[in-house]
Amino acid sequence: MKRYFLTWLALVALATLSLFVSGTSIALSLAIAAIKAALVAAFFMHLWDSRPIHRIAFIAAVAFIVLLILGVAGDVGTRDLAGPYVP
Amino acid sequence: MSHSVVTSTTVNSQYDSIERQHATARVGMWLFLSSESLLFAGLLALFTAYRISYPIAFHAAAEHANIMLGTINTYVLLTSSLTVALALAATERGRRRATVGWLLVSIALGATFDVLKIVEYAQHLHEGFAFGHYFTATGLPQGAVLYFTLYYLLTGLHALHVTAGIIVLAYLAVRARHGAFTPESHVVLECGALYWHLVDLVWIFLWPMLYLLR
Repeated sequence: MKRYFLTWLALVALATLSLFVSGTSIALSLAIAAIKAALVAAFFMHLWDSRPIHRIAFIAAVAFIVLLILGVAGDVGTRDLAGPYVP
Repeated sequence: MSHSVVTSTTVNSQYDSIERQHATARVGMWLFLSSESLLFAGLLALFTAYRISYPIAFHAAAEHANIMLGTINTYVLLTSSLTVALALAATERGRRRATVGWLLVSIALGATFDVLKIVEYAQHLHEGFAFGHYFTATGLPQGAVLYFTLYYLLTGLHALHVTAGIIVLAYLAVRARHGAFTPESHVVLECGALYWHLVDLVWIFLWPMLYLLR
């Protein structure tokens, strides 16, 4: 019970923090989001004290999403493909 | 299917115990949540690609996002995750009425999120910030329409999940009211709660991506 309230307090505090630092850095905003997501997964979703198989299943999915996004970012970011957009 | 009422304590024939059946259900739920996350991955990757390709347009377009409603919705969803967790905690303590109460609060918060989202969409559409070739707003750099198209796809897919989650929570509330969940056996409630938390997880990333990245 107490753990849930503490998690919620931390989430609200981090959300407020990201409001204040918004516009400074994309990486910072996403890092705060990652911490919030970790808190939700660990305590609200009980990954912190559940069976390893649950963590493996979910972390694998998250890892592949990160891989996909980094791959796309690395590709698009290092070449000059996007010409002027024509609607 | 047999005609007997299936409760949380009915052991299906392929399992030798209720514990093993519930353990399987939990793993199945996590696999489902994992594949559900991958559903969003394609759109997230597309957003990344276009944001890198049109940084100025995306900055300019994000200026028109309703940061106020987006932020309220962030607090609403974070709080709904707490109330869903409290519903589960209440069941673990055998408090049936508290479980139903927390589920109803969660449903109200979910509905609030959807209503605010509709208000936001109406506002954007009124101002001409529509998707694809319905985009009629002027004065934005080339590529801004891509921000709005992805904004509708991402938040729309997410809002669909919120709506599905509300239906799941309503089902759980009815089941809880009828005493389907006991402190020892409530795996359906556990899995439903997990689904709601995933909806929260997705929004945690959509909020900075669409509203705060200026």
